Amino acid sequence: MSCLLLRLAAPLQSWGTSSRFTRRNTDRAPSRSGVLGLLAAATGRRRTDPLEELLELRIGVRIEQPGQLERDFQTARSLDGQTSMPLSYRFYLADAVFAVAVYGPDPLLETLTQALRAPAFPLFLGRRSCPPAGVLLHGVHDGDVAQVLADAPWLASKWVQKQHRAPTVTLDTVADCPATEARAELVRDEPISFDPRHRQYAWRSVLKTPVTIPNPMHRSPMPTAAQAGGGHDPMAFFEEPF
Amino acid sequence: MYFTRCALNPARRGARALLASPHKLHGAVQAAFPPHAASATGQGRVLWRLDQTEHQVQLYLVSPDRPDLTHLIEQAGWPTTTGWDTREYQPVLTRLAAGQMWGFRLKANPVHSGRKTPDAQRSQRFHHVTVAQQTDWLLTRTDKFGFTIPLGENKEPDVAVRGREVVRFERKSATVSLSTVVFEGRLEVVDPDRLRESLTNGIGPAKGYGCGLLTLAPLRRG
Repeated sequence: MSCLLLRLAAPLQSWGTSSRFTRRNTDRAPSRSGVLGLLAAATGRRRTDPLEELLELRIGVRIEQPGQLERDFQTARSLDGQTSMPLSYRFYLADAVFAVAVYGPDPLLETLTQALRAPAFPLFLGRRSCPPAGVLLHGVHDGDVAQVLADAPWLASKWVQKQHRAPTVTLDTVADCPATEARAELVRDEPISFDPRHRQYAWRSVLKTPVTIPNPMHRSPMPTAAQAGGGHDPMAFFEEPF
Repeated sequence: MYFTRCALNPARRGARALLASPHKLHGAVQAAFPPHAASATGQGRVLWRLDQTEHQVQLYLVSPDRPDLTHLIEQAGWPTTTGWDTREYQPVLTRLAAGQMWGFRLKANPVHSGRKTPDAQRSQRFHHVTVAQQTDWLLTRTDKFGFTIPLGENKEPDVAVRGREVVRFERKSATVSLSTVVFEGRLEVVDPDRLRESLTNGIGPAKGYGCGLLTLAPLRRG
């Protein structure tokens, strides 16, 4: 058993778990149903096909770059323009990046890797208008979800890493936990069926834990010429103990 | 030897006249010492440098005798609140030792001499023009001055070239033009005696016009 590491990044993503009617929310991290749906699409499963094999996978998410919440106010009319459809709000995460560890048996991960290289259906991040950007596959790693998410390098964009002027960065991870855990949160995103006629989701409990990892773009401050000059105080020469 | 710092008030007319002309400032600095008195130590010379940043103007002075800057403060300083700060230089200079690392700042006038044309009668001084030439000017002389410039993070000598300017000012009826440059960086002491010599006697030409005064400061991390 090992972990497949994915990087989910796109101009827009949307991961709804509690959306009803005209207000379509997004979570701040990919949902389990969303990721399983992406894998199911890659392997060519149709909506009515059974999901058993995929349901064994365990999934953990690390928020590399939280992104920004965007609201889309959407209007629509019927084809003849006579009837207006209900006004609706759709929420998106703009410019977010997530690391997703998919834990499962090696043969299955191998099939998934192949499928993601040549997906049967187009891949999208939560909503059909949100195709992924950048490198999706980041290899198969030994260890369980928590371990892989604690060891994986920071996958945020270069400019975000540069802007973060510290040697380490603390990121939130979201992973399954036993329902008895005190700080657990309940999310209804355990897919039972994606069948459009009777979609079914079950509850699962997740736990948010922070992990601290090094920032690859951090440069240690050396007393460089510029810095030495910026604070050049000749009078300090007289106070220096040598 | 004495090391002096004196803040000038750029809002005053007297200060502006001095800042506009190294010739006038040279006169003001020389006036800090009585004309007839022989130097007590017989070593070193008067060196000065103006460090101008956005919000403050500092005059640094190295001199064999204790300066009296009252006239400068009256014309161009804050006469009622701020004076000048003079320290004994020799005691700290004696503690310089080989292997020490210091931050440094030096305003210099890098020049080379040669004949303008092959058949010219006399040799004359020419400014070094580019950053590379000016840096090279310093790096080829550091042995003589008693220090080396260690390699920095990018495997290049750890020296930065800051203010490069060509100053023109009137001296009697002639125009003097100087190309000055501010070097900043790290140095490692190799020969303390030679370094003391450079600190008290200055580096390069135009010493009367605010060039050649090397100052050291402790390196701070971060």
